[in-house]
Amino acid sequence: MSDLEVFVQQLITGLSNGMIIALIALGYTMVYGIVELINFAHGDLFMLGAFMALTLIGVLGIQDQTFATAPLQCGLLFVLVPLFCAFVNGAIDHFAYRPLRKAPRLAPLVSAIGVSFVLLNIGLFWGGLPMDVFNNGHAASAPKDFPALVSNDNLLGDESNVGFTATDLLVVGVALPLMVGLTALVRLTKLGKAMRAVAQDPTAASLMGIDVNGIITKTFMLGGAIGGFASVVYALYNNTIHFQMGFRVGIDAFTAAVLGGIGSFPGAVLGGLVIGLVRAMSDQYIATQWTNITVFSILVMVLVFRPSGLLGSRRREKV
Amino acid sequence: MSDLLQLENVTVRFGGLTAVDDVTLTVPKGSVHSVIGPNGAGKTTLFNTVTGVYVPSEGHVRFEGRDLGIPFRLRTIALCAFVALATALFAVLAVNVQTIWEQAIIANYIYQQPFPWSKAMGDAFVSLSTLSFYDGGLPLVFGFVVGGAGTYAVWNASRLTPDKVAERGVSRTFQNIRLFQNMSVLHNVLVGMSGKHRTRFLDVLLRLPRYYREERMATADATELLDFVGLKSHSTEKASALCYGDQRRLEIARALASQPRLLLLDEPAAGMNPTESESLVELIARIRDRGVTVMLIEHHMDVVMNISDRVTVLDYGKKIAEGTPLEVRQNPKVIAAYLGVEEE
Amino acid sequence: MTRTRELQGYAIALALAVLLPFIEGFAFPGLGLAEDFRPIFIFAILGLGLNIIVGYTGLLNLGVAAFMAIGAYSYGILTCDIYPFQLSFWSATAATIVVGALAGVVLGLPAIRLHGDYLAIVTLGFGEIVQDALRNLETITKGTQGINPLPSPRLFGVDFQSGSYLPWYFLLLFILCSVALLVRNLERSRIGRAWIAVREDELAARCMGINPVRAKLLAFSLGASLCSLAGALWASYLGSTGEPGNYDFQVSVIVLCVVMVGGMGSILGVMLGAVVMVGFNSIVLSGLSDLLARQGILSGENVFAVPGNWKYFIFGLALILVTRYRPEGLIPSRVVKIVAPKKAKGA
Repeated sequence: MSDLEVFVQQLITGLSNGMIIALIALGYTMVYGIVELINFAHGDLFMLGAFMALTLIGVLGIQDQTFATAPLQCGLLFVLVPLFCAFVNGAIDHFAYRPLRKAPRLAPLVSAIGVSFVLLNIGLFWGGLPMDVFNNGHAASAPKDFPALVSNDNLLGDESNVGFTATDLLVVGVALPLMVGLTALVRLTKLGKAMRAVAQDPTAASLMGIDVNGIITKTFMLGGAIGGFASVVYALYNNTIHFQMGFRVGIDAFTAAVLGGIGSFPGAVLGGLVIGLVRAMSDQYIATQWTNITVFSILVMVLVFRPSGLLGSRRREKV
Repeated sequence: MSDLLQLENVTVRFGGLTAVDDVTLTVPKGSVHSVIGPNGAGKTTLFNTVTGVYVPSEGHVRFEGRDLGIPFRLRTIALCAFVALATALFAVLAVNVQTIWEQAIIANYIYQQPFPWSKAMGDAFVSLSTLSFYDGGLPLVFGFVVGGAGTYAVWNASRLTPDKVAERGVSRTFQNIRLFQNMSVLHNVLVGMSGKHRTRFLDVLLRLPRYYREERMATADATELLDFVGLKSHSTEKASALCYGDQRRLEIARALASQPRLLLLDEPAAGMNPTESESLVELIARIRDRGVTVMLIEHHMDVVMNISDRVTVLDYGKKIAEGTPLEVRQNPKVIAAYLGVEEE
Repeated sequence: MTRTRELQGYAIALALAVLLPFIEGFAFPGLGLAEDFRPIFIFAILGLGLNIIVGYTGLLNLGVAAFMAIGAYSYGILTCDIYPFQLSFWSATAATIVVGALAGVVLGLPAIRLHGDYLAIVTLGFGEIVQDALRNLETITKGTQGINPLPSPRLFGVDFQSGSYLPWYFLLLFILCSVALLVRNLERSRIGRAWIAVREDELAARCMGINPVRAKLLAFSLGASLCSLAGALWASYLGSTGEPGNYDFQVSVIVLCVVMVGGMGSILGVMLGAVVMVGFNSIVLSGLSDLLARQGILSGENVFAVPGNWKYFIFGLALILVTRYRPEGLIPSRVVKIVAPKKAKGA
């Protein structure tokens, strides 16, 4: 492989991973934008989504199928998993965060860490279910294979040194419309307008007759649904899932959200792509085991030099 | 009377908005100076600029003849250079720590011998000097730039900070009361004395006699101040348990605790009934008699007219009038600003 | 809680801790309860360290385990006989406290200006960086093997490696009591007041002449040095640093649990929190595992039947329930009232 081919390959890998990170980052950014809470459990929700997807595959019996042979059942993943994640995220908001709306700011964050641990434990138990796809409950904590429903053959032909597969295409095909749709939803619909109003000033919004708690729950559900899409795409792209994967992926996504400017949708997408690219390039040109350190160093530097992120706006404390 | 505070052509801008526009004023020592004006005229912004919460976009704030901000001097450059060098060194060491460790420590260490420290140091230097550009020069430059730029950014953001201004002798209260609500009344005043402590960390950690002496003196001073504002009997209560007027008085006591020469009061009479504001006027007079110069923002005209030596009127960030209370009251511009002018 | 009640609390806790081994030896020999208190003491020190940072100063630090790892590894490097330093227990422990404080300053300088949750994420990131770095710097840290064997302390001719757990028990208890006393000295002083003032209202504190950066940095590095001390004790007690993965995010959350459940800003509370949370983990869960294994119920096949698998669940649930129903913790602090809903700050 020539240097250029290596670079292009890393570019493709980085952008695909970046799209997935961006989808998860959107979940963080939406929630932060409206209640100023880092929904720490979002990464683990994403993990549960992947486990739900694998369970569905087991239930539908499509382990050995592909999108080509069973398009309907495979497509069902993209409906049921986001629904599941939306419902779970809404429930989390209702039980863990809503009672703390008036509490000091650290309280919901601590609660979110707690939720994250509970979800982590649920993931561990889930992996021990007596199902074929989970090795019949053996070694619950081990990584699980996720069947390759989308082929990993190189679309550019076997001779090409640069790999571009249907999974790469799938990532772009799912992520791009979602990002466009989400932006349109927030900009154009009545729900979007209400969300922006609540983000600006919850008290004033409620005085204007907006059901603030309802809007917040809907935001959580929307963020969860996007996370659900991300988990299906991630699982199909990487073909392996693990109950602890939410933590690392979650940190990457949060870093992306902060990098882009938390609360900003285009910022989250940009941040996700940048983080994906940095990871890929660091894997190639520094060393894989230093990649996490590279990403965190970037996070720290962004926060020191430009805490509002690349596309965010500054806020000033009133005296 | 000499001038305690001088504002020279002070302008404060937030993005496109000019909150304070080219204001020049002087406050003589020992006087009570009021700043009035309609809501949004830039009065509080002016106070924030004096106390170092905001850095003026243009102009100077001089206190006792000296600029309140810390100018960019050789010391700043030296600090930036020092941190930059330290970061650069740290970066090089961090990147090459394994190589140096191997060549200096592991290569020289044989189980149970006196370790040749000087030789190891020499080897470390040799291995440092033979680094490639990728391992040595790049982190060096990178660390230097990041360390220097970071220090400059931090310095720039904090060159005029309220704590330093407070140590110079300017203290303040807030428009919306900002007490430490969960601390006791006495402790609130004690926190106000923070800039005056002379004991060191070890004195406090180990409770040496010096610590007890200082704590005793501080408590006595704080109790005296509480007596001064009439809150002595409440000293063990939680600050949030006080009634509104008392909270304002506590804020004044806390501000006085740092022994300021200039006290800024931001709407001290807000929400007070006539009796309370009358006793406030009396308190301000007693503060002035202690030798503290008072600057006051107030909407209650009876308070302003009773106590002020001079009054400055702001409107849309601009100074539109200044003079004795009587002069200001008769100034047509002031009347227009408060009541509006009919368009002709 | 009044001052006298509090002093009574300290006295009772100390008496119980001193007498526990004797009561157990007399009444229930072979139970092994007092033995299991040694990790609890170490976690109590960790909790006191975090308490300075999160309880008094209100900075959520999620990288406590990293400071613990720094302490453990610097203790390992300074004492283990595969390196040339080979310091004694006491001088190495003192050195780790300094190293921890320095590490706190190095992390604190860039991070301290960040607010609330941003700081939490940066400290969390720092925790991951330290773990990865320890794993990757194999020539120095021995990678995943960990540094071992580490020498035991010697004190008054007592052999800490002998069969009895008592020397360690009393050494750790002594260190914990000294730490608690010093932390209490700081809490009831101008330094503690400055911390609380900064947490309550940073701008007001600033206008009163407190330098918030200095106050926070002091809290941060003090907390870090206590965590580092705990790490050194941990490594020395185990005779090995263990692998870097032992100092992961989970440890940080356990320490956070200790502080939250016990009561933020309450020294006595933190110690009780350590007994409850760590005791649950190391005594109840492992005891249950032993019992189930002996009864033959524990097959290892069924995930639900392994008590250790409920660990995340229990710590997570503890955090959720405490923040919701008893945010002031088991023993509310006298000086720190972090929990009262803040009044909306007027704009």
